[in-house]
Amino acid sequence: MRVRDITRRAGRSLKNAKARTLLTSLAIGVGAFTIMLSLAAGTGGREYASDIVSSNTNVRELYVQPKQDNQTGGSSGPREYDDTPTVSFGGGFNFKLLKQADIDTFESLENVTSVTPVYNVTPKYVTREGEKKYQTSMEAFLGTLQQEYLAGNGDDVTGSKVILPDSYRKALGFDSPAAAIGATVDVVISASVTTPGAEDRTFSLEVAGVTAKSDLAALSGQSSLQASNEVVKEMYQYAQQGTPIENAYMAATVLASSEDAVEELKKSINDKGYDAQTAEDLMGFIFQFINVLQGVLIGFGALAVLTSIFGIINTQYISVLERTQQIGLMKALGMRRRDVGRLFKIEAAWIGFLGGAIGSGLAFAVGTAANPWIRDILTLGEKTNLLIFEPWTFAAVIIGLMIVSVGAGILPARKAAKLDPIEALRTE
Amino acid sequence: MIEVKSLTKTYGKKQHIFTALDDVSFTIPDGASVAILGKSGSGKSTLMHAMSGLDRPQVGEVIINGEDILKLKTKEVDKFRATKMSFIFQSFFVQANETCFDNVSLPLEIAGVSHAERKKKVTAALEAVELGDKIKSKAKNLSGGQKQRLAVARAIVNEPEVLFADEPTGNLDSTTGDVIEDLLFGYAKRNGMTLIIVTHDADLAAKCDIEVRIKDGKIESISEPRKKVVKKPMQRRVQ
Repeated sequence: MRVRDITRRAGRSLKNAKARTLLTSLAIGVGAFTIMLSLAAGTGGREYASDIVSSNTNVRELYVQPKQDNQTGGSSGPREYDDTPTVSFGGGFNFKLLKQADIDTFESLENVTSVTPVYNVTPKYVTREGEKKYQTSMEAFLGTLQQEYLAGNGDDVTGSKVILPDSYRKALGFDSPAAAIGATVDVVISASVTTPGAEDRTFSLEVAGVTAKSDLAALSGQSSLQASNEVVKEMYQYAQQGTPIENAYMAATVLASSEDAVEELKKSINDKGYDAQTAEDLMGFIFQFINVLQGVLIGFGALAVLTSIFGIINTQYISVLERTQQIGLMKALGMRRRDVGRLFKIEAAWIGFLGGAIGSGLAFAVGTAANPWIRDILTLGEKTNLLIFEPWTFAAVIIGLMIVSVGAGILPARKAAKLDPIEALRTE
Repeated sequence: MIEVKSLTKTYGKKQHIFTALDDVSFTIPDGASVAILGKSGSGKSTLMHAMSGLDRPQVGEVIINGEDILKLKTKEVDKFRATKMSFIFQSFFVQANETCFDNVSLPLEIAGVSHAERKKKVTAALEAVELGDKIKSKAKNLSGGQKQRLAVARAIVNEPEVLFADEPTGNLDSTTGDVIEDLLFGYAKRNGMTLIIVTHDADLAAKCDIEVRIKDGKIESISEPRKKVVKKPMQRRVQ
């Protein structure tokens, strides 16, 4: 018997038991629904996360630190001195720093556009005439970051320009973002305690832009003031002068010439004995979290599918019993055992197909309808969809469930194939 | 020609042994109509099952066209049944939810006949039993007589060499029963098909060329052919 003819007959006998077919399909459809939504949430979540990553970090950037010694090897005796600048913490815990020679090494590498030491500057306070003093932190301005400006812009952050977050704009007494543009704020840096008689130094900076609180900026410091690299460097040097760690840095950012060169550059920096991390490495934990969450959801879907397997087995067993006489007739007419078995397996496959189609179709409808609602509740960005359905997932879910259903149909199919036609035709 | 040689079929073991068929032997010439006559429990159904390869007796041979079908593999017996035999049952066994077309098409599908060929043959078979206008009707909407005519169409659609009919008129009133009988005998005569009817109806048996009487699994009597069975050339099977 031709497979096409068997498939047609299988479809027909399911049509003859519409309610039962539909109910069995719905059971497996619940699994399909859950799995589809998990896949969509995973895709959407990853896309959202990569939006966050790209607006907080530059994918061409590498964050490079010196390779730290193994700090736990206490029993190996006293460590040899080396003249690398370090920050010492209590208990012999040392944190190595980068020196200018290291920076020069990075600059000599291929595919490097620029190397910027990370200046950790914590000013004493920020203020302006007639206003209170506020704690703050300073960051070097990076033109590659995406941020939203309420007033002004980041086109020309050079010299003594500064970018102010909106919260500081309010605190410093500007009525509107526009009113802050061009005004002067004072950032006060205290000198290192090791330099006797050194006084606090005030940097007067001109506001070039006011940034909105970004939904995507949750992870990095767009709550700090951003000034040009030169200014921040000057502040850093002023704060560190006279200390053993003058001209040494916690880390440096190395900008690769292109996105493709990042991985290779990371490798060559690591080969030289440093610890380089790409933006992806730094943000990797987000993706890992999303993947774990997605895995758990898919697990629930798989559980629903597992339950529905028993439904399919049960339905198909009943179907075999009900159609004993029909099976007997088909075998008497010379239908082969293999073909009888196939008939029931294909019926099971149809059920799986139907369940997969219903479940994933419903998931698509519900997900598409829920996207704007989720966006409102979680205050995501304007165009962010947390549930993204990819075409291949529909095919994968439906085909997967068809295979599972055929698996469930094996036992009933075997029972049908083994049926003795004489016994079967005696039934009546 | 069908030769049945010393068929013996038993059920159960040792002291509970029951002999359904006991050393049954006879010969049926091609194109003959044969009645296997006996009371219920006489073993006539078992004989039919054995002759069609549905059942496997412990001893004996069933030689059809020189081949012992009891020695064939299951797969080959299935093929034999799909292409050379067919059945009619007392309770019709038509599929109520399917159309007449799909009911009659089943044996052809099993035999692997192409779609276009099937359409031609099914239409012809339904017209032969005067159900040409019911081709798209569901079988459940047919009367008892029409259902059995549908079963006849299904049985002749693959142009079998042997047709087994198990009490074909048992569930019908005498008028509709006569129609079915005429259909069967007419078709068998025209096409040189061997017709084997299992029945306890003596009137029906009397219409057959040969009567084989069975009692307690043994042959009681075999009548001489009423008339000379004319062997027809089998050109109808040239497809």
